[in-house]
Amino acid sequence: MSDELPLELRRLDVEAADLDGHSLEELGDYLDRDRTPVDPSIEASAGCQLVLQAMTRLRATTRALIDADIAAAPAPSESWVQQILTRIALDARAGRRIPFVHPSPTADLAITEGAVRGLIRAAELDVHGVLIGRCRLDGDLATPGAPVRVSVEASVLWGERVPTVADRLRAAIRERLVAHTDLDVQGIDVTIRDVHRLAGTPEEDRS
Amino acid sequence: MVGAGDAARLGDAADGIVAGRAADGDEDAFGVLVRRYGAMMRASAARILGGVDEADDVVQDAFITAWQQLPGLENPAVVKSWLMRIVSHKAIDRIRARRPQTDIADEDPAASESNAPPRIVEARSELEALSEALSSLPEQQRECWTLREVSGYSYEEIAEELGIPVSTVRGLLARARRFLIVRMEAWR
Repeated sequence: MSDELPLELRRLDVEAADLDGHSLEELGDYLDRDRTPVDPSIEASAGCQLVLQAMTRLRATTRALIDADIAAAPAPSESWVQQILTRIALDARAGRRIPFVHPSPTADLAITEGAVRGLIRAAELDVHGVLIGRCRLDGDLATPGAPVRVSVEASVLWGERVPTVADRLRAAIRERLVAHTDLDVQGIDVTIRDVHRLAGTPEEDRS
Repeated sequence: MVGAGDAARLGDAADGIVAGRAADGDEDAFGVLVRRYGAMMRASAARILGGVDEADDVVQDAFITAWQQLPGLENPAVVKSWLMRIVSHKAIDRIRARRPQTDIADEDPAASESNAPPRIVEARSELEALSEALSSLPEQQRECWTLREVSGYSYEEIAEELGIPVSTVRGLLARARRFLIVRMEAWR
């Protein structure tokens, strides 16, 4: 602890005594909580200030280093991306099994929940500029004729009128579900989560 | 089927939308995430591993795990930090696998001038100097430090990730910081 300090800190021109009873651990913690609540004893100590400055500089340099790493890293090659996509393809998300109503008792036809989600997502093609995100089917899918509720999240093109787009999307989803499934769709909830712009103007930081 | 043109459009969407549909099983959406964050994850993995050699493997593994666990991600909008966590975790796993199991606190050697690359002062830039200083940090200090400063883990999370007490994490971090500060001050 503090008995280890003098040797290395001498090169910082800071003697352990100059930290006014504080340790490097303490100062690191203090910086980690953004110097709040303010510790007057640390703030008034010249030695502590020097160390805090050095730590802050180190942090900024670290951030710059990681940014430089990322900038220098080649964009993932398409073959590398495809390698990953090939591996995940083995684990398709089928979800629940949704049987079709069929007059023959021996027929056993069904569609997967994953396929129905695909159908729902495809409805975005019918509504200009809309992109569908997460999609949920609530209800007893295994029982033909049981009521089902659909919820989707979506993003609309910047400048579009949100209620109009939501209505169109709802209609497009219903049309596709009626055409391709036996689901008794009681309602379709559309939540507009985001607004996006067209290619070439991605947000700088999406976090 | 969703064609290439649609995948390109998906590239304009925010993380929440893209990750949400990847969670639902849309591989094209997942591809967008791979392209969007692959390089960032590789950079982070390389810093934790102390080199780029295994970084590609680690990132691939991280994406496979991400695909499997995406349906459980409550808020898809935070997928970026979630992916960074997964890749950090995978990198740590990789390091653990390649070294014999010993008590982490006992094993940690002190960083000294003797194992530092000579003439650090000749590093051409501050970033280069930091990069060299980091590579001469003892492994566990570097792990703790990278998890804290690059991946943004809390002390508690680092302790859990590395399976060591929080007090040990605090000590390792303090040593790493001291070493780096002294080295960087020397460079200036």
